[in-house]
Amino acid sequence: MAKEKDPFFVGWGKIPKDYKVFLISLTASIIAVFAILSYAISSTQSDPGDGALMGLTTAVGILQADPYPVLHVISSGRYQPGETIILSGGGKRGVVKRAAGFDGQVVRAAGVTMQRGDLNGMQLRSGKNGLRGDDTGADAFTVRVENLGRWRLTGEICDGKCLNGAMRPGRGLAHKACANLCLLGGVPPVFVSSAPVEGSEFLLMADANGKAVTEEILKFTATYVEIEGEVERRGELLIFKISPETIRLAQ
Amino acid sequence: MSVSYVPVQWNPNKWKYDAVLIALVVVYIIVFLRLGTPAADFTRPVDGAILRIRAFGSCAFLMLTVILAIGPLARLDKRFAPILYNRRHFGVMTTAVAFTHAMYVLGWYFAYAPIPRLEALLVSNTSFGQFLGFPIEALGIAALLILSVLAATSHDFWLSFLSAPVWKSLHLMIYPAYVFVVAHVALGYFQDAKSPVFALIFTGGALTVAGLHLASWFKERRFSPSTEKWVKACKPSEIPDKRAVIVTISQQERVAIFRTGNSFSAVSNTCAHQGGPLGEGKIVYGHVTCPWHGFSYKARNGCSPAPFTEKIPTYNMSLENGVLFIDPKANQPGTDVEPIIVEGVVHG
Repeated sequence: MAKEKDPFFVGWGKIPKDYKVFLISLTASIIAVFAILSYAISSTQSDPGDGALMGLTTAVGILQADPYPVLHVISSGRYQPGETIILSGGGKRGVVKRAAGFDGQVVRAAGVTMQRGDLNGMQLRSGKNGLRGDDTGADAFTVRVENLGRWRLTGEICDGKCLNGAMRPGRGLAHKACANLCLLGGVPPVFVSSAPVEGSEFLLMADANGKAVTEEILKFTATYVEIEGEVERRGELLIFKISPETIRLAQ
Repeated sequence: MSVSYVPVQWNPNKWKYDAVLIALVVVYIIVFLRLGTPAADFTRPVDGAILRIRAFGSCAFLMLTVILAIGPLARLDKRFAPILYNRRHFGVMTTAVAFTHAMYVLGWYFAYAPIPRLEALLVSNTSFGQFLGFPIEALGIAALLILSVLAATSHDFWLSFLSAPVWKSLHLMIYPAYVFVVAHVALGYFQDAKSPVFALIFTGGALTVAGLHLASWFKERRFSPSTEKWVKACKPSEIPDKRAVIVTISQQERVAIFRTGNSFSAVSNTCAHQGGPLGEGKIVYGHVTCPWHGFSYKARNGCSPAPFTEKIPTYNMSLENGVLFIDPKANQPGTDVEPIIVEGVVHG
């Protein structure tokens, strides 16, 4: 085929032969490049970790309402006695109000279990199916409390439900707004320390008085921060009683 | 070109163009979800909704990058002009992909909250005063709003209704939209991705767009404006037959001198349709034809052939000592100017 001397493309006309070869090559190249980039981006996504929903279970234990509701297990088909479970509700909701009337009592909790490393969580079923007083005479025990002193920790403030496996990944800046919504809804905040503290990298957050933290932490969620506070072990769970004025973005 | 407004003036080239666009998106999404993700090193799988958020989001970013690369590429190499021809469809498709991304975000991260989704979207992160942790959703919304306005006004009705300069200015908002998208990604997923691959692709894409625009601008800059009353253009033989030479007569104004055999006429370099560079076009069927969308004008009076009504300014020229000169004062659009006839001129 002879080449056109001065090919020119007009949208409503026929494509010049010289252009055809170029355009077919270009089309194939663009599609191939998109496919390669798609594979490169998708195959190198970061690992969301081992957090996951683990199915339904029930547990009988001692409920502690502050700073956020947790259950110290007495007996369960899934958990070992003495393990501590962070409790949350459906969606982006906590169970602060539901748990308030059971503080210090033996309760039966039922719901979807979540686990990430040594962090246990449970999304309670609604109403009494999810949380009610237990009258089976389970043997209550005194929850061991140990003060581990003052610490300056670096890490990330997360919501304890998504982090625990309700979302994968359930942390990071792309997840910040979701984490804030969860925390606003009463889901317990969990601090993920960059280095383990007494064997655990997950700490339930509280204010300096051991109560729920304020909304002041919301602007620091999902970022790498440095915080000072008292660390306390309650049962199997570490509580980080933060001094809010010490929070700052870490380098 | 059309004398009436129809939803889309389909022709075989547009069908092919759109088919390629759809193939591009389908291939990208399938490779992302079905081939790349299973090959990733996950302890447990990423949520399906988050995968789709990432797939459509990254696809929209790459499509927008290509869209912004088309303009300068077409200036640097005329063979890219056919890609530019149907760029509006590319833009509309990109908006649809970005919208899909946004709907997955809204339906996943902002669902199941104690407040309505849209309210949750707006109030969940208000840390506008900080760099890391800045509400990336606001940046995404800004970009999507701009893209939606551009997609909605991409039809020739709006071009005519708003006038070409206003429409063109409006559609330059694609650049702020891209900046918002880059910031949306840079302050969000870019920070979370631990692999350097995404960082390389993302920064490479953004730098490519910037580099191509700089190269295109540099090429334009070589035409330095004149301050003389009559602007010296070139020798007639320097203009190839049925082609033009572009002469810069002021910072904003360029003139295209077209040659048809031994006849020379000067018209505005700016197409009345979308401001395309007429001087990069060609004389087709006896008419100056825009390289962008094929709008046509008679070289001697700047009028589109009947029944079309578009008009562009013409310019007076003179020939002195074998050199063409242009009067920088433009004639009213559609003004007839007798062409300069140069006997015995050889082909350039």
